[in-house]
Amino acid sequence: MATRLFGSGIRRREDPRLITGSATYTDDLTLPGMVHAAMLRSPHAHATVGTIDISRAQASPGVLAVYTGKDTSDGLQPMPCAWLVPDADLKVATYPCIATDTVRYVGDIVAVVVAEDPYQAYDALDLIDVEYTALPAVTNPAEAAGDGAPQVHADVDKNQAFHWAVSGGDVDAAFKDAEVVVKERIIQQRLIPNAMEPRAALAEYDQASGDLTLWNTTQNPHILRFLNSVVTGVPEDRARIIAPEVGGGFGSKIPAYPGEFITVFCAKQLGRPVKWNETRSENYQATTHGRDHVQEIELAAKKDGTITGLRCTVWAGMGAYLSTAAPGIPTILHGLMLPACYGIPAIKEDVYGVYTNTTPVEAYRGAGRPEATFMVERMVDRLAGEIGMDPADVRKKNLIPAFDDGHDTVTGLTYDSGDYPTALDKLLSHADYARLRAEQATARKSGRYIGLGLSTYVEMCGLGPSQVAGAIGFQGGLWESAIVRVHPTGKVHVFIGTSPHGQGEETTFAQIVADEIGVGADDVKVIHGDTDTTPMGWGTYGSRTTAVGGAALAKAARKVRDKAKVIAAHLLEAAVEDMEFADGKYSVKGSPDKAKSLAEVALMANVAWNMPANVEAGLEASTFYDPPNFTFPFGAHLAVVEVDKATGQVDLKRYVAIDDCGPQINPVIVEGQVHGGVVQGIGQALWEQAVYDDSGQLVTGSMLDYALPRAGRLPEIEVLSTVTPSPHHPLGVKGIGEAGTIASTVAVYNAVMDALGPLGVETIDMPFTPERVWRAIQQATKGH
Amino acid sequence: MELTASYRFDVPPTALWPLLVDPAVVASCLPGCEALEPVGDDSYRAVLTVGIAAVTGRYEGTVTLADQRPPHAYRLVVTGKGRAGFVNGEATLELHEDGGGTRLDVAGRAEVGGTIARVGQRLLSSASKMMMDRFFDCLRKQTAAPS
Amino acid sequence: MYPADFAYYRASSVQDAGRLMNEHPGAKFLAGGHSLIPLLKLRLAVPPALIDIGRIVDLSGVTVANGRLRIGALTPHAEVAASSDVATHAAALADAAGQIGDPAVRNRGTVGGNIAHADPASDLPAVLCALDASIGIVGASGDRTVPASEFFLGMMTTALGEDEIVTHVEIAAGQQHGSAYAKFPHPASRYAVIGVAAVIAADGDACRSAAVAVGGLVPAPVRASNVEQAVSGEALTDASFAKAAQRVGEDLGDEILGDLFASVEYRRAMAPVYVARSLSAAAARARK
Repeated sequence: MATRLFGSGIRRREDPRLITGSATYTDDLTLPGMVHAAMLRSPHAHATVGTIDISRAQASPGVLAVYTGKDTSDGLQPMPCAWLVPDADLKVATYPCIATDTVRYVGDIVAVVVAEDPYQAYDALDLIDVEYTALPAVTNPAEAAGDGAPQVHADVDKNQAFHWAVSGGDVDAAFKDAEVVVKERIIQQRLIPNAMEPRAALAEYDQASGDLTLWNTTQNPHILRFLNSVVTGVPEDRARIIAPEVGGGFGSKIPAYPGEFITVFCAKQLGRPVKWNETRSENYQATTHGRDHVQEIELAAKKDGTITGLRCTVWAGMGAYLSTAAPGIPTILHGLMLPACYGIPAIKEDVYGVYTNTTPVEAYRGAGRPEATFMVERMVDRLAGEIGMDPADVRKKNLIPAFDDGHDTVTGLTYDSGDYPTALDKLLSHADYARLRAEQATARKSGRYIGLGLSTYVEMCGLGPSQVAGAIGFQGGLWESAIVRVHPTGKVHVFIGTSPHGQGEETTFAQIVADEIGVGADDVKVIHGDTDTTPMGWGTYGSRTTAVGGAALAKAARKVRDKAKVIAAHLLEAAVEDMEFADGKYSVKGSPDKAKSLAEVALMANVAWNMPANVEAGLEASTFYDPPNFTFPFGAHLAVVEVDKATGQVDLKRYVAIDDCGPQINPVIVEGQVHGGVVQGIGQALWEQAVYDDSGQLVTGSMLDYALPRAGRLPEIEVLSTVTPSPHHPLGVKGIGEAGTIASTVAVYNAVMDALGPLGVETIDMPFTPERVWRAIQQATKGH
Repeated sequence: MELTASYRFDVPPTALWPLLVDPAVVASCLPGCEALEPVGDDSYRAVLTVGIAAVTGRYEGTVTLADQRPPHAYRLVVTGKGRAGFVNGEATLELHEDGGGTRLDVAGRAEVGGTIARVGQRLLSSASKMMMDRFFDCLRKQTAAPS
Repeated sequence: MYPADFAYYRASSVQDAGRLMNEHPGAKFLAGGHSLIPLLKLRLAVPPALIDIGRIVDLSGVTVANGRLRIGALTPHAEVAASSDVATHAAALADAAGQIGDPAVRNRGTVGGNIAHADPASDLPAVLCALDASIGIVGASGDRTVPASEFFLGMMTTALGEDEIVTHVEIAAGQQHGSAYAKFPHPASRYAVIGVAAVIAADGDACRSAAVAVGGLVPAPVRASNVEQAVSGEALTDASFAKAAQRVGEDLGDEILGDLFASVEYRRAMAPVYVARSLSAAAARARK
């Protein structure tokens, strides 16, 4: 095709409004009569709640209402958990929107104030007097699972939210026959997602009609509409959920939160639009966190480096309540991926989901897969160290050979396609791995500690077949839908059920449609994030928007193309069988001058003056696409670090990423996704950590102490790719949103440990703060 | 948060002790103390306006001088809350005869919650130490004052 | 983030500012606002009034006259960092100003506000102590000048009276020395975990005299006189700097700040490393 847009790095059409500040976020909206809500949150991690004196707050200037849990217990049902992982003895503890008798984490809501302006609302918060009686708190998941730990919920024994296990192959035999076994205990520290836009809601409720409009920073408005009906009682047909511009989510805007439903409750009660916009402090305390695993891992292998088995136990901190999708993250999205890109033949994992007196834990970019990749990739490096083999060679020895139509794992997945050895080879040759090893050896002689860290990964994306969703307890489908509507002038509206919020699908989806039906990308507008105007969909997460939603869109566009062909044939007085779609035109085969443009066809379809027999007017199509399988992107990453032995500071000197997400619709956007993902993963390795003290206070409660990655501390990220199409996706694409995060944390980890290897340092908890690294060096070199 | 410190006084424990349990003296030396009213059982209701630079906050709570063993030791139990958060602390004060004077050892721990805990960890223990230094410096002056 | 109610006044002169402060007890002066506004937003500071001194004329800018480098209190850090006069006469100050926070902070935050707030992890106090700067102050009772070493009294505690304002900072210009600032920044706040300013006057390849001040890990900056003595007269080599730097422990005193990111023990251990690094960087400039 002459002007194929698929594969072209055109600029993101989202960017002008984002970088000029004209984008409209929830907090930018103002409605007539709008008032403001503020949430009073518990300063205690665990306490019983006595009397709540709201009288002074009620009398405060501008205050319209103050509600406590007693006032909302009829109007707001408990928060539902929507991923009920089966065969896991799941115990969903009651999660009230506003706590009544007990608060279970710092940030639990105890009251809401509604006032004419937000300043008045916050002033009134200071005037509410709550009588708390502090209770012992527990914050570490492994400790919470132990004997005698404080009980977060009286009806959940040992704080065990679930026990999920996965196994495949003969693990006992693998370990019995193992020539080498390496073990490690890894802490996947708790992270704070830090979307640039905190959460926000604006609810407008018409008491006469019962119609609700809720603007909300969500990754999945249709799921929210359903959950809203469960919690607030506003039926789905009466509720319109709009996700306006959403300033990032990284998983933290998948779940529904009490905050938006309390806002709806207030709007219903008061008959006035109510806005709630959380502060960054609230965001840190009460928007979901990520990771928080304690992992114990053993890897069995032969002396030649062949991996034969993996056995592990994970304690996954769930926080005080089970957030919407939380149980699926450390189980389905984690354990099933343990065979990794090596096809490890024997796997056994036990995962204990544990309640703690902390902020609920949810999906965070990668969601379960970074934690799984970390376990395997770390153990591969440990194995390499144990048998004296280069980590690259251990990987080469174990990688599954290239396949293009399915590879079954012992955990029941079928990888769609992959060529892992080529990705690794390309990485090693691009980075000149052999030369880097030589430079490392030279540097060591002069007392400099350089380290190389590899990570080869495969991930599970494009969630997923709905039949599988049902089998794994996901309380919804995972198909996607799209509508392609061509207007009389040949301009196109695309309506999608997914809800992009920074990933660039307004651009890439226009590229898909443009190629499929023969228009320019600028002729296509992509509409999303409004449940009244867009078709049903399950949202944007799990690298599924293009992998599933893009497939639905391509199929809908192809239906339009087929119809356009029929109309064009009629107009050209040709047989449909003689028509072809080439160079963006609908032409008669062999007679390229006998052709109609989409605009010409669209005009006729819309005015319908001269339509073929039995063809309806209009040029529009919709699809519901349920994928036959997940997609499995993969890649190989390399980090190069230097450790300052005197201070323990780690300098990331180089980062190379090879990712294979299949054919790339827009390589510039792919590169951006890899950059962002890689940096978030590096953040976990080097800087980020949410810390609770013994009494359950979040002591990294602001950006003073929670260290996000900064551009100045990062090298230029070298982004390369290989292309292995998915055999089952109509466009062959696989998804790229999470790849960088999945690969990069352990690449950096391995690099630092490689640097310190000669000193005998074996493990350091993340993040690699200078002090931790320095202490490890001091410890290891003691007596040398 | 753990706090330990040691202070030296020129007067012996028997002379220091009465000051340490005298609410008037304690109130006058406690930085920002606006009220210290007895509520029985060696307990007092306290109102403090604590400030370091621009950071100021008013706290209300109780102070209890428990387990008194004159002139050797007592246990100081403090609970307080204000807009910026809450503090629940406990410290043991031990007075040791030391060459005619007194060595006073303080060992305690405090749970701090709310905004101060969330954003203040960097300075919290030094700020607490600073307040404690001010208190004992003041007390030292009182021991030197002619009675 | 919504601060509590406060009144706002804009001062037209330093005298006006002092008058407003006397009229509004408990008020706070507002300059660049980069320390104060976060506290207001968190409601950790709830002053009844703010007195904005940010538009008082003649309090901003860098000048050199009569052998003195003078920096107005309202000069933003970015201007200090970019000033060729500062680079010439007080290179360590340019180093430090250029490492404060991020560009937004450096464009709005002011020298006077920074030192009046006297956060122990601030960069400028140590530099001013090492450079023997004097701090110009004006208040209801008139003008005065305080040496930097007597200005910083403790954690967020200075010699400033309630109604006094910092007007400027002065440093001797045209000195035959090299100065530098070595900083261990906190990865999140960018505050100094440790910040060391060193000034070296060279005598050929030897150190004629040195001034070293350490900040970040102590409540207020400390002059490292033991280090200064140890390095004076010695060769300008990394080996002699490393040796002299070991003496910094004797200078720091008992009260070392520790936190979640860097413990007391770790900071103590890092102090000599950064002392040596600052000496080395200052010496490189002193030799030029």
